[in-house]
Amino acid sequence: MQEWLIVLLRAIGLYILVFAFIRIIGKKHPAKTTPFSFVNYTVIAVITALLILGIFPNLAIGSLALSVWVALPILGDFLATRSKAIHDVLHGRETVLIKQGKIMEENLQQVRLTGEELLADLRQKNVFNLADVEFAMLETTGELTVLLKSDKKPITPYDLQWDVAPQTEPQTVVLDGNILHDPLTEMGLTHNWLNIQLETAGLSLDNIFIGQVDSNGELYFDLFDDSVQMPQANVRELLYANLEKAQADFMKYSYETQDSEAKSIYYRNAERLDSLIKKLQPYLLR
Amino acid sequence: MTVGSQVKQTLASLKGTQATLRIYAEQSQHEQTRVLFHEAVEAVDEILGELEDRLRTLEFSEPQYKGN
Repeated sequence: MQEWLIVLLRAIGLYILVFAFIRIIGKKHPAKTTPFSFVNYTVIAVITALLILGIFPNLAIGSLALSVWVALPILGDFLATRSKAIHDVLHGRETVLIKQGKIMEENLQQVRLTGEELLADLRQKNVFNLADVEFAMLETTGELTVLLKSDKKPITPYDLQWDVAPQTEPQTVVLDGNILHDPLTEMGLTHNWLNIQLETAGLSLDNIFIGQVDSNGELYFDLFDDSVQMPQANVRELLYANLEKAQADFMKYSYETQDSEAKSIYYRNAERLDSLIKKLQPYLLR
Repeated sequence: MTVGSQVKQTLASLKGTQATLRIYAEQSQHEQTRVLFHEAVEAVDEILGELEDRLRTLEFSEPQYKGN
């Protein structure tokens, strides 16, 4: 066989083989894994390159080396899921760098990180003030994770004791002017529903780049034609305003009427609406 | 505008509100939200019932304004 044909066949064969191997090894991003994984990927790549170019003349022996470097990490990952001890040996352990706001200098030494590098890593996490840090850890991937002091953490609705409506993930139902069926059925919606929504908005399907349905069943569009101004749906705010108006009406009637029985009916219902409005507020306004 | 027609207006607007609440009750993906909106629909239903009763009494006592 001619030499170029051999190289071609090897290249194609190994391309498919290594592609499958890397798929099996897993989804972990190479840049986000331990340094050793990086070495592992590199060795696989180098062996493959040597094999393709025939620098390693014996294909069988080369493939053996390749499969060892593929099989071992898979085996290691499997064992690591079974045993914490093996996991620690293979992936190393995290190092606490800052505890209770104080830098642990010995640990910093141990991972060979200078104070300046620590500060740079903190800045990567948008922390410029060392005094704001309660706890920081160097993960096995080399990434620094930071817990801020409780008074420096971003405020959540929980902190403000706000009720907020629960939300599920939005689904993309239109992409590039095409309806995506699976997300639509997952939301329990039909083609027909989407067509009606489009008609009310006065849009045609081929004018839409992306359409998403949020957990409230409301549609948001991005159009190809950016000069078209899309009216933002504010049905919720309107609904809230309507409820408030009804409540105000009831109050008014209860003051106006002379009949004491009617007064109490109006008043009671005004109260009912008031409590309903309070209950719905997080769902309609936030 | 008579009291009767004002109450009728409130009734109509509240009915529209109830319909919108019902749509939300069906559209929402989250169970908790669905339950809440369903409860709201029922609460408005009770209020509507009492308001309709009141309207009937009004029309009975002011027959000259009936249908306004």
